[in-house]
Amino acid sequence: MVNNQKINGSDNAVVISVNNVTQQYLGGSFTAVDNISLDLRENEIVTFIGPSGCGKTTVLRMIAGLEYPTHGEMVAYKKPIVGPGPDRGMIFQAYTSFPWLTTRKNIEYGMKIMGVPRDDRRARAQEFLELVHLEEFAESYPTSLSGGMKQRVAIARTLAQNPRVLLMDEPFGALDAQVRWEMQEMMIDIIGREKTTVVTVTHDIQEAIFLADRIIFFTRNPGRIKADIRVEFKQGKRIARKEDMLALPGYVDLEVKLFAMMREEIQ
Amino acid sequence: MSDKEKNVVDENAMIGPTGVQRPRTSSFFALRGTISRQTTLVLGILGGLAFFGVWEVGHLMTPEESKRFLPSPQTVLSAFWVLLTEKGYIYDIGKSCFRIFGSFFLVCVVAVPLGVLMGCFIKLRALINPTISASRYLPAASFIPLLLVWFGPTDTQKMALLFLGVIFFLIALVLDNTKAVQSELVEAALTMGADRRRVVLGVVVPAVAPSIIDSMRNMIAVGWTYLVIAEIVAATDGIGAVMMRAGRFLKVDIIMAGILTIGILGVLTDLAFRLLAHYSFPWDRERRN
Repeated sequence: MVNNQKINGSDNAVVISVNNVTQQYLGGSFTAVDNISLDLRENEIVTFIGPSGCGKTTVLRMIAGLEYPTHGEMVAYKKPIVGPGPDRGMIFQAYTSFPWLTTRKNIEYGMKIMGVPRDDRRARAQEFLELVHLEEFAESYPTSLSGGMKQRVAIARTLAQNPRVLLMDEPFGALDAQVRWEMQEMMIDIIGREKTTVVTVTHDIQEAIFLADRIIFFTRNPGRIKADIRVEFKQGKRIARKEDMLALPGYVDLEVKLFAMMREEIQ
Repeated sequence: MSDKEKNVVDENAMIGPTGVQRPRTSSFFALRGTISRQTTLVLGILGGLAFFGVWEVGHLMTPEESKRFLPSPQTVLSAFWVLLTEKGYIYDIGKSCFRIFGSFFLVCVVAVPLGVLMGCFIKLRALINPTISASRYLPAASFIPLLLVWFGPTDTQKMALLFLGVIFFLIALVLDNTKAVQSELVEAALTMGADRRRVVLGVVVPAVAPSIIDSMRNMIAVGWTYLVIAEIVAATDGIGAVMMRAGRFLKVDIIMAGILTIGILGVLTDLAFRLLAHYSFPWDRERRN
């Protein structure tokens, strides 16, 4: 495991820009996202949090290029986003490891699409098998893996493509509490090595604080940004072990603050 | 706990080897659960024997003068044997199989790609689906006069009937199978940079293949049920024609031997599809078993 990592401040280059974006459904009668603007910077872990129906997943999907905004502009590295691509890898809450491929073939799949030569693919897949602790299950099919393992396959497959931005839509939402916790620590470890910009959507306040350098709190009806919070108490570090974070002064204050914001939303 | 209460508990539970009460899972009417391969086999054979037993009893209870209308299982089996060894029945079986498998092959060639494409492309679905859905309600037998005018009393006419009887259902099933492919699998492939061709051929097709084999297995069973309809009219060979000829001479044992033949061939076809699925999709075995 790596030690607590130092991360840079908020002066890194902007990777993703959301400029005055509105997303409407049902022919304009429902506004999921209402005129949101947001800059995401290089090597930043951002967590989107908020009540159900606040548009956080919609914004994530628009960054991925799976949806287009009704109004406004989505920009990645100064170019408009016109569709999905391997530069913006995505992990879904549902298990998306392909059931007809073994763990190894699954991890190779994304690289195959990108045209990585066979030998490089093999070597890099092996590296990622080890990174997500699935060497023993390299030749197993997903049906024989647990939920956490399936999610690790999806994470390895996406990261093996070396995306500039990693998007995660409630990636651990379907997992048991203890597995979720292991996965969160594993993500901190892997993200530190890969230096990727990460955006995670979650309902889980503790998960949001543990992973994030920056928390964006969404409000609903219509979906807007309620608060943009830097996680100051970690003092620019990423904490490898969850209990170390819980013990830091300032953690509880932030948790209480977020719970209070959440309560306002549900009342 | 009073004695009375204890008795109530005992009625619903067994004492296990460790003396601990366990729920009664050995009951014949245990809900769901799993049973061993051996139990499955024994129960299946028992069910089959019961069927022949009821048949035999029915035969014995029939008055003597009507016994020829409900021959015993042995009579039917011996009629089957005579057909095979003396009447060139194997040729008729071959002919029926050719019609079924030939027409079903053509059905699959059309229905599987069309169903998959309709499942992938919503505009194609909107264009074709209403017509196909409506066509399912046309009785296949109503096409017989038309097909006779078009093709005459040929194999083509019979295969066209089998084709029409099955194809609309198979398209609808394959479409449903394809729509049921988890949309996140497609989206995951898209975010990895897969183009449309890759998504359809590399993700949708392998994801849907096992359920398509299941649909094919179910629809070829329907094909077998259409066989007699196809071979009743203007046919000189095939299992259905043999049965119709026998009917004209009130040879009930031969009619029943024909029904039995179709039953056996149906079971074998089903088994073949199961084996195909088992060996083609090793990754899907856990779900099937």
